[in-house]
Amino acid sequence: MMLFRKECGKIFCSLTYILYCLLVILMIISQYFIDSGQRLYPPSKGDYDYGEKIVEDHDLIMSTAADALTVEFLSNRYVCYPFGFYKAVHLDNEEQAKIEKYICEITGLDSTGIAEKKKSAEVCYITDGTHDYGEYAIRDMPISESMTYERFTDIMEDVDNILGGGSDYAVDGLVYQFSRVPMTYEDAVDDYNSIFNDDRVTNAYARLFGDYAGIVLAILPVFVAAALTAADRRRRMSELVYSRRSSSLRIVFTRFIALVTTMFIPVFVFMVIALIQILIRYNGSDIDMTAMFTLPTFWLLPNIMAATATGMLVTEILSAGAAILVQFVWWFMGLMAGGTAGLSGRIGKFTFICRHNALGNRNEFLMNWDNFVFNRVFYMVISIAAVLFTVGIYELKRGGSFNGIRLFGKGSIFRRKT
Amino acid sequence: MDEKIVIKNVNKFYGKKQALFDIDLTIEKGMFGLLGRNGAGKTTLMKTLAVLHKKKSGEITVCGVPIEKAKEIRAMTGYLPQDFSMYPNMKCDEALEYLGYLSCIPKIECKKRVTSLLRKVNLIEHRHKKVKELSGGMKRRLGIAQALIHEPKVLIVDEPTAGLDPEERIRFRNLLCEVAQERIVILSTHIVGDIEATCENIAIMDSGRILWKGTVHEILENVKGHIYTANVEKRFLPQIKNEYIVTGMLAQTDYVTVRIVSDSEPDLPNTVLTEPDLEGAYVYCLHSNGCDIVGGEK
Repeated sequence: MMLFRKECGKIFCSLTYILYCLLVILMIISQYFIDSGQRLYPPSKGDYDYGEKIVEDHDLIMSTAADALTVEFLSNRYVCYPFGFYKAVHLDNEEQAKIEKYICEITGLDSTGIAEKKKSAEVCYITDGTHDYGEYAIRDMPISESMTYERFTDIMEDVDNILGGGSDYAVDGLVYQFSRVPMTYEDAVDDYNSIFNDDRVTNAYARLFGDYAGIVLAILPVFVAAALTAADRRRRMSELVYSRRSSSLRIVFTRFIALVTTMFIPVFVFMVIALIQILIRYNGSDIDMTAMFTLPTFWLLPNIMAATATGMLVTEILSAGAAILVQFVWWFMGLMAGGTAGLSGRIGKFTFICRHNALGNRNEFLMNWDNFVFNRVFYMVISIAAVLFTVGIYELKRGGSFNGIRLFGKGSIFRRKT
Repeated sequence: MDEKIVIKNVNKFYGKKQALFDIDLTIEKGMFGLLGRNGAGKTTLMKTLAVLHKKKSGEITVCGVPIEKAKEIRAMTGYLPQDFSMYPNMKCDEALEYLGYLSCIPKIECKKRVTSLLRKVNLIEHRHKKVKELSGGMKRRLGIAQALIHEPKVLIVDEPTAGLDPEERIRFRNLLCEVAQERIVILSTHIVGDIEATCENIAIMDSGRILWKGTVHEILENVKGHIYTANVEKRFLPQIKNEYIVTGMLAQTDYVTVRIVSDSEPDLPNTVLTEPDLEGAYVYCLHSNGCDIVGGEK
């Protein structure tokens, strides 16, 4: 316990931690508190747009997906987002033939029928920013009577594989891509009421808080973790620590827990502030007093743990700079993947940065609740596994069997090769 | 438990380069000096004893415990590295407490030991000073305190007096002697004066090998008949330095008294066979083992 307190003291006094706190404060205030700044009011009748909702309607999914697939097939231009990055995929003749076969199976049309659809369709010219291209506006592809949803998802899985992954046809995203319908006034009222009756206000705000804070907490902890891990070497203190009686497990885990605890403190303070703000704003409503702590903790702790573990592990093996670079790449890919998922509730089993950028849409979030729970537990477990691996590396360094891999400067692996 | 360190046929490699060659040593309680030039392998041997390096072959036991039992060895060994520092913004007592907790010392006991050690190393008045505000000598004394915080049976100090002014050096030597009353202290250095002032038992190392081991008295006996003094004119000094191993010079009004290590009597005026000193004995040891000593003292 005393060692833990000393490690916390070291972190509190470090400039990197102070900068971390400032950035967390800045990000949460500028994102969450500005976005959640006003009291919610019920929707008014006659508004132009109440937003969209997801309905898990298999007929709708098959019909919309068949339209989209036919449009992309006819122009042989499939838009994909592998790892969150835009990519226009063009298939060869053999792969196109496979896609055509699948479209025929889904729609019950033959090649001639598809060709006729093409002939009768209008051509729209659109741009992706650098190129203009034509697209056939097809909105009425039939669905074969014999087509079941199970067979349809098998086909979609294969189509996604042919396209190399990251397409709109990936099975876990079909509902989000092809089953959205505009919300009616009644839907909007239900959504509003759900915030008060089901979410008891704080659950809705807790999701929004988790969404915004999750972005910064997936990257900033790496700076503090890398700085603390590299501090012994930078301060020429390594040998004094290595020659102590404490086991490597005790040293590394105490530091990990101290890092996670100290970096969670500013987040916890904001949870308290957010709760106070809700209590003032919704005075008189039935408010869940614990949700502002439980959900964001479960949401955000794995982000802090994963970024901290990466920082410690990569710094021990390579350097603090390499740790920051690795975490930045991971964070950027996670952010892009979160962005293409529509920022609202679509949480995969391995999505690093979970997004739900809305106060409402509770149902969308709950549709992925199992994924969300699995995901958060998964990142906690791999973080602990990474810390255990760090313990092994630390033990090797401590016994002089491994000195880390230098990428640059004296003793760099590149210099040795040359 | 026998209070000695036994090193048998220890070899150590850095990649393909051999750093230690068949080291054999027995180190008993009290001060033990390890003397050698920079690059002789002293630090490698010290780090191997402090379980910071792994040997390739051979056996080492510290107070009866084989070196492979790292946790036990760490519990009974205090180490002051050659190039060390501490977190600059920590206060002296905080830094010691931190290292005490890393040595698994309970809180109350740790605080007691910190106060007692700071008193022992004469830093009690500076206990609230930040490490970065300490002078070089104070840092070294703090270094000794951290190495003693867990009351080790063995204290390993590597080049502790390098860069210290004469007064601090004397203070530091005295501190080591005091500490060595109760434990084994291994002092590794290239400064002969430090060994001469503190150690009875010594070993001389060069190129990863032990060239000589024994008591100071024995090595002085060994070199008897090989140390000469001669009074020479200043203008002949460069020529004499080229021909003989000069270990010391004392400037007089119109001549210089030089100390020379030589197998036979030098062909110089006023040459007198003189009482050996440790510096001469050390240089003679290197010379008689074929080590390159060009031109003596420069």
